[in-house]
This record gives sequence, structure tokens and C-alpha cells, in this order.
Amino acid sequence: MAHQAHSYHMVDPSPWPILGAAAALLVTSGLTMWFHYNSPRLLILGLLATILVMFQWWRDIVRESTFQGHHTPMVQKGLRYGMVLFITSEAFFFLGFFWAFFHSSLAPTPELGGQWPPVGIKPLNPMEVPLLNTAILLASGVTVTWAHHSITEANRKQAIQALLLTVLLGFYFTALQAMEYYEAPFSIADGVYGSTFFVATGFHGLHVIIGSTFLLVCLLRLIKYHFTSNHHFGFEAAAWYWHFVDVVWLFLYIFIYWWGS
Amino acid sequence: QGLKPLIPTESPDLIFGTSKLAPGLPAADHYLGTNKVPDLQKVFQRSDGLPVHLKLGYPDRLLYRTTMALTIGGTIYCLVALFIASQPKKQ
Repeated sequence: MAHQAHSYHMVDPSPWPILGAAAALLVTSGLTMWFHYNSPRLLILGLLATILVMFQWWRDIVRESTFQGHHTPMVQKGLRYGMVLFITSEAFFFLGFFWAFFHSSLAPTPELGGQWPPVGIKPLNPMEVPLLNTAILLASGVTVTWAHHSITEANRKQAIQALLLTVLLGFYFTALQAMEYYEAPFSIADGVYGSTFFVATGFHGLHVIIGSTFLLVCLLRLIKYHFTSNHHFGFEAAAWYWHFVDVVWLFLYIFIYWWGS
Repeated sequence: QGLKPLIPTESPDLIFGTSKLAPGLPAADHYLGTNKVPDLQKVFQRSDGLPVHLKLGYPDRLLYRTTMALTIGGTIYCLVALFIASQPKKQ
């Protein structure tokens, strides 16, 4: 059996990259068929294929690392760089939507009544549910840090409790935000206020769901003994992503909810 | 390329580290299940030539073939739909 003379990971041939690309094709063309021909079939097929590819690709990474031992310190370094670069790209993504918000809100046009919020818009009270949501995400930042310390100190019970609490707080945020969306007196179609509000908070909400799911997977792996006290990069990546989601919310709360009301 | 030689990875450092146990507790932690990682490590490090995405045999093959069928079928459906959509509307 051949042994490698380096500490990098040469992966087994895998079908997931190309099938993932095909799934992306189905999602995008599916959106077109849904928007223009009122048929969601291709989109549903694409979303299903995407979920299957994501599940199997990440399952394989867990197999390669936890069960086959391929994640040497060099490999882990590469993964750290990768996650940092990815989160940076997401930060730029949100920067665009904040740019759009400030473009419209710093110099409101006569069509809006020369004011922000525009005439006729009744903004949400920032001291009600949005403030609670801020407290929830800040608390979840504390609990995820508590979980990390528990992992490094090899305290299994506390790590599981802290990570469970973090996941529950994440779902609580999503539930409250969904209720706010349902009860809001304005919609995405209500001019540029509606557009900037719902696109920015909507993409943030999607990232909360993604982050909560990532943390939930980490919780399941934690329960199954996958993490050790000094090798648990999957958890660290989830925690970084979660802190990023929290910071984006703080910007949303201060500028869109509070300053913008 | 080749798989690394079979080495017990990370076993001394497991999260229920024995160095922190209170006296009187059993050696193996049973809080929410026992540790099956060493057994899974043996399974996934078998020299059977199977790639990691098919290593568990039948369940892996089933999921792979389902994904493949949905994706390839969907791509054909997509190309047909795009072809039809690109036809000019009848006057």
C-alpha cells in the first residue's frame, strides 16, 4: 500500500463537485421556470439535489477527518484560511446591501417625501422584538464561547448543554423574526424602504438558519465523540460563522432598525 | 496517492478524557451514548479500495445513485425546458 511523503490530503475521486454544479444549474434554471412560466418543478428538483450533495459531501469530510485521520495540522491550516476567506466574502456580500440602504436613506428623494422613513411607512419599534432579538444573539455568542471552553477542558456534559442552548437561542431568534415578518405593517413591495429592509434582514435571517444548522450538526458530532479537546475545527468554524452572523445583526439593528426609524 | 497507514488517531485525547474523571465513575463515559469512533475508524480504514463516498457499501451506493439520477435526469429536463422556452411564440 502506497504511503504519502507529505502531510497534505490528496482526496479520493468524488462525484460531489460536479453533481453540486449540476444542482446549481437546476436551481438557477428552476428559478427562471418558476418566475416566468409559473412551474416550480425544476426548482424543487434542484433544491433537493443541492441538499443531497451538501449532505454527502460534508459527510465524506467527516469520514476523511474523524475516521481516516487525514486532517493533519497542515490540512487544518488550509481549512482555517478557507473559512476566513469565505466569511470575508460574506461580509462583502452584506456590505453591498448596507450600501444600498445608505444610498437611499442618507439622501431621501422627493418621491419619498424627502424624509426617512419615507412618508406612509410605519417602521417597527426598535425597543420591542428587535431589542429582544439583539439580546438573544448576544447571549448565544456567550453560550457558544462557553461551549468552546468546555470542549477544550474536556467537559462533555457542559459542552453539550452550552451548545444545545446556543442552537435553541438561534431557533428562537428565527421564530421571533418570522413572526415579526408576518405582523409587519409594510412589505418588500413598499418602495425602497421595504426593499432595503427585507432584503438585508432577509439574507441575515437565511444566514441565521444556516449558522443554526451548522451548530446543530456540531452538537450531534459532539454527542458522538467526534471532537477532541485540541482538535475540533468544525466547531470552531461554526462558532466563527455564528459570531459573524451576530455582528451583522448588530449593524442591522443599529442602522436599519434604530437609526432608520 | 494513498491512504495514510493505519494509526489509532486521537484516541488518547478523547473528550471524555480519563484524567478528569471523579473517583467512583466507570472508565467509559455513557452520557448520551458510548464512543463508537474507534470502531468507525477501523471500518473506514479498511484496505478495500473503496472511495470514501462508497465506503459503507449499500446505503452509500443507494444515496449516490439517487442523487445521480435526480441530478442527471434534472439536467436533461432542464435542457429540454430551456429548448422549449427558447422557441418563438406563435403569432
